[in-house]
Amino acid sequence: MAISLLNPKAEVARAAQALAINISAAKGIQDVMKSNLGPKGTVKMLVSGAGDIKITKDGNVLLHEMQIQHPTASLIARASTAQDDMTGDGTTSTVLLIGELLKQADIYVAEGLHPRILTEGFDKAREKALEVLEKIKIPVEINKETLTDVCSTSLRTKVHPKLADVLTDVCVDAILSIKQDDKPVDLFMVELMEMQHKTETDTQLVKGLVLDHGTRHPDMPKSLKNCYILTCNVSMEYEKSEVNSGFFYKTAEEREKLVSAEREFIVQRVQKVINLKKQLCDGTDKTFVVINQKGIDPMSLDMLAKEGIMALRRAKRRNMERLALACGGVAMNSLDDLQESSLGYAGHVYEHVLGENKYTFVEDCRHPQSVTILMKGPNKHTLQQIKDAVRDGLRAVNNTIQDKCLIPGAGAFEVTANKELLAFKDTIKGKARLGVAAYAEALLVIPKTLAVNSGYDAQDTIVKLQEQSRLSAEPIGLDLASGEAINPKDRGIFDNYLVKKQIINSCSIIASNLLLVDEIMRAGMSSLKG
Amino acid sequence: METKGILTLQFGHYSNCIGTHWWNIQEAGFEYNSSDPSEINHDVLYREGLTEKNQVTYTPRLLLVDLKGSLRTLSERGDLYEPLPDPCKEKSRVEWQPGHVEVQSTSQYEKNQFHKDLEDPEKAEQVAKMTYDFDKGVQVWSDFLYARFHPRTVNIVREYEHCNENTPFDAFPLGTSLWRTPAFEEDFADKIRNYVEECDHFQGFHMLSDSFTAFGGLASGCLEHLRDEYDRKSILVFPVIPSHFPTTNDCTTAQSVINDSVRTVNLALSFNQFATHSSMFVPLSTSTRSWRQAGPGRNFQYIDYDAISPYNTSAILATALETLTMKHRLRASSNFCLSDLAADLTLHGRKAVAASLRLPFAMRTGETLLDNLDQWQGPLTVAITPNCEIGNARMMQHVCIRGIPTTRLKKPVEKAGSQRELPAYKCCTVQEMFQMYLSFVTDATASHVTTVNKPINVRAPFPRIFDAKIGANGDLLPEGSSRYDNTAVEKIATVSGLHNCSEIGDMLESLHTETRRIRIPRLHQFTNEGGGLERDDFEECLDNLFALRENYEDNYVI
Ligand SMILES: Nc1ncnc2c1ncn2[C@@H]1O[C@H](COP(=O)(O)OP(=O)(O)O)[C@@H](O)[C@H]1O
Ligand SMILES: [Mg+2]
Repeated sequence: MAISLLNPKAEVARAAQALAINISAAKGIQDVMKSNLGPKGTVKMLVSGAGDIKITKDGNVLLHEMQIQHPTASLIARASTAQDDMTGDGTTSTVLLIGELLKQADIYVAEGLHPRILTEGFDKAREKALEVLEKIKIPVEINKETLTDVCSTSLRTKVHPKLADVLTDVCVDAILSIKQDDKPVDLFMVELMEMQHKTETDTQLVKGLVLDHGTRHPDMPKSLKNCYILTCNVSMEYEKSEVNSGFFYKTAEEREKLVSAEREFIVQRVQKVINLKKQLCDGTDKTFVVINQKGIDPMSLDMLAKEGIMALRRAKRRNMERLALACGGVAMNSLDDLQESSLGYAGHVYEHVLGENKYTFVEDCRHPQSVTILMKGPNKHTLQQIKDAVRDGLRAVNNTIQDKCLIPGAGAFEVTANKELLAFKDTIKGKARLGVAAYAEALLVIPKTLAVNSGYDAQDTIVKLQEQSRLSAEPIGLDLASGEAINPKDRGIFDNYLVKKQIINSCSIIASNLLLVDEIMRAGMSSLKG
Repeated sequence: METKGILTLQFGHYSNCIGTHWWNIQEAGFEYNSSDPSEINHDVLYREGLTEKNQVTYTPRLLLVDLKGSLRTLSERGDLYEPLPDPCKEKSRVEWQPGHVEVQSTSQYEKNQFHKDLEDPEKAEQVAKMTYDFDKGVQVWSDFLYARFHPRTVNIVREYEHCNENTPFDAFPLGTSLWRTPAFEEDFADKIRNYVEECDHFQGFHMLSDSFTAFGGLASGCLEHLRDEYDRKSILVFPVIPSHFPTTNDCTTAQSVINDSVRTVNLALSFNQFATHSSMFVPLSTSTRSWRQAGPGRNFQYIDYDAISPYNTSAILATALETLTMKHRLRASSNFCLSDLAADLTLHGRKAVAASLRLPFAMRTGETLLDNLDQWQGPLTVAITPNCEIGNARMMQHVCIRGIPTTRLKKPVEKAGSQRELPAYKCCTVQEMFQMYLSFVTDATASHVTTVNKPINVRAPFPRIFDAKIGANGDLLPEGSSRYDNTAVEKIATVSGLHNCSEIGDMLESLHTETRRIRIPRLHQFTNEGGGLERDDFEECLDNLFALRENYEDNYVI
């Protein structure tokens, strides 16, 4: 999809023209993105020139699917990517707000106000908006209910409610099962595994690990119970080295000797594993599983299979850490002092085959501190949509744990900040106050767009919300089902503090940069590229 | 027999052009009905797979990377494992408030005649014999792609757009930072692991990289990862450089000088990384020189090619790759692997290796190899490594001859006549004869010769670059006669070599000199904002190149 924006000739565009170009580019992007905002926003299905399909509602994803033909657009795209990287949410709001700040600024610039004065106002307004944010944030207890509220608010803006509820449960459970007291949660300890199979609502949490590979020997067990788990990063394959040039090792025997010496070395290694297995398992109902980050060649697999050991090769590096957390034990870099205490435990390890893809489930772990979200869907683009949603859901939960507070959603923050900024404006001397007024007005783009996307009139809604807000001590938001004012807290509609904070900061800065186009020109267009 | 699998990685559009031709010519050589096994063990570069409907697939063990907008009619995941989704059906499947689902489609690209024919069961068989106007019609590599890929093969970078000046992917640091983005590295590293995990005897990697752009940085990032994760596997890197760098009409002279500098710095930074982390690297180009602007194209006897067309030049380099990787892909030498090749060719830390090609290796119908070589004047092959003229002394080399069967070696005794007087007449195989020939024409050189009987198939979509003196079967036509205009050459014999020679020192020295002259702080692409390249890193890179060059001084040899 192409939004054709003006094609820039940066060198020749004079400042005023350049500003006009920036504003029209930002508006152009805003127009494309507007319909996406909120739980009633539009889902977009993008079809590429070759027929690839992508389904998304996410501003950042959409921006990157567009042909970005203007440096302004690419700067806005970068802001939304940064927003996504840092918080996992708020990308559409970012694009809308930057566009609206420029639109509002345009009115004053047309009347002759210098952009620099406007940006001074923006900066004052930004600081004030952050103060408002501090004031209305709601401290929360970290429990299942709170986390479910925030995660579900976020996910219901991305996927249909039925799926959003499944994913919310999965995300909240995942984090609660690996969270330990007050330690920060490491999101990498939640593995995301895709399985093209069944439907999206079959997505589930596995309290253990799912690996995207299986055994490679016909006689190896495909399912074991009561398993010792050896996690290691030790080569069990014979590999030729690069040091022996054929030009110099003329005789075949000479080479053979080298080969068999190295081969014997590998056999010794595998034997160590077998010895431990015999010592611990033989004569009991216990079994043995090896999960190796390095390779295991057919000869070694054969030795292990003969002992009934299940062995997997080339595990993900990160799964070494995850396995230790899910099953206990330690990832071994050498097999020299192999002991029972280095091993982990899983109640059940089994393989699942789908076409050419194999999966291994390591389940029934005792106290798994690493878990897997197993995402299912009938095709790749659905899986991708789920993966994007799950990532954002996990971030929403984790942000809440870090922030220990939430912001009332449904436009409540924007309406409140608008009110306070208008009051604040009057305390400011000089023309910078016009920048504050522009900023206050721009914030309203969020509740207005939420209203329009639900079929309500923007102005009626704003008037209604502003009136209620003046009367109420608590922040007021918009009920999308009725078009009336509500207290979002009562409905469990919350946004992350971090997300809003990042939006306030980055939008002000990017909008100011685009306004100060003069300076940017001098610094060279290069700084806008890439 | 154990197959030692190799994973091929292609980074950038020119690499993908070469790769496309390479997979095409391999598949053109597949024999489906033959009773005796082919000389080449295709399983080294290909893998067998299974769709969910239990259909067996056979696809390149390949990962390639390109920018958004570079695929045109090729879909990212292909339609081999599942049909392309139908937008109407998928739209109705989306569960969301009715009326709030919007379809945005880019105008569908129309497939070219070649692809239309491939999809038509009645015509698909004939495609190789047809004439298509690829020279005019090709815009991107997928336009001439015959091979079909595994769904995981194609990787598209969304942050940068193909041929879009506003999103240039032009400088090394952009590539290294792209590699470091979690979305890219994690995904790509997983795909590598998926391929490696399924191989019983994995031997290493072939990597093609557009080292004159940011893809050099991306390839370097990947290379470091491979070294880390697959420490003892061999990695053979081919930095590839086209013979023409297109400029836009409104590109000023100043801008074009900057572009030349940026490309040159990219090459220097890439070579430095390859020298550190690869097992061996072989720069390839059909140009005589590649630093700053591309020099004049190399001349190949009986070939008339358009040096500006990547479609043409990449085809030439693909035949070289196909030939010079033979030794570790043949059934007959299944014990020989990449690590042996690297061990043979990179003594004394000489990791940069030059390549050469003779395309086509044309003999007259009825002529014997013995007579041909006896009468041949001049060098056997043409260098396809830029800024490097391969000499004939003090070398380590691997040479492969493809397409000359033993039946064409020499005349039978009863008809031999004066041939019998020649010392080479006692040779009984093509290999022996070439070995002897090389020992005559070189000095203090260790040569290793590989032979393959079957020629290379160069039918459509291979470009029609062979001149009229070459017949359809690849033979040189008798004096005075020429091939009909509308017939294509179907197969040709080739010779290609890898050479470790002192002249590579010249290549490294000239790159070092050119790069040293560039004032890095003036190139915003390499400053911190452009992704970050410390001044010290740059100096270190130059020092390393210089040190590598010293390994090629003659007094170090053997
Ligand atoms: N149930 C709801 N009712 C009203 N507003 C909501 C509701 N859920 C979310 N929102 C609001 O929608 C906005 C987020 O919309 P979304 O489409 O997720 O865009 P973004 O990419 O900016 O996060 C926030 O302002 C949030 O408060
Ligand atoms: Mg959101």
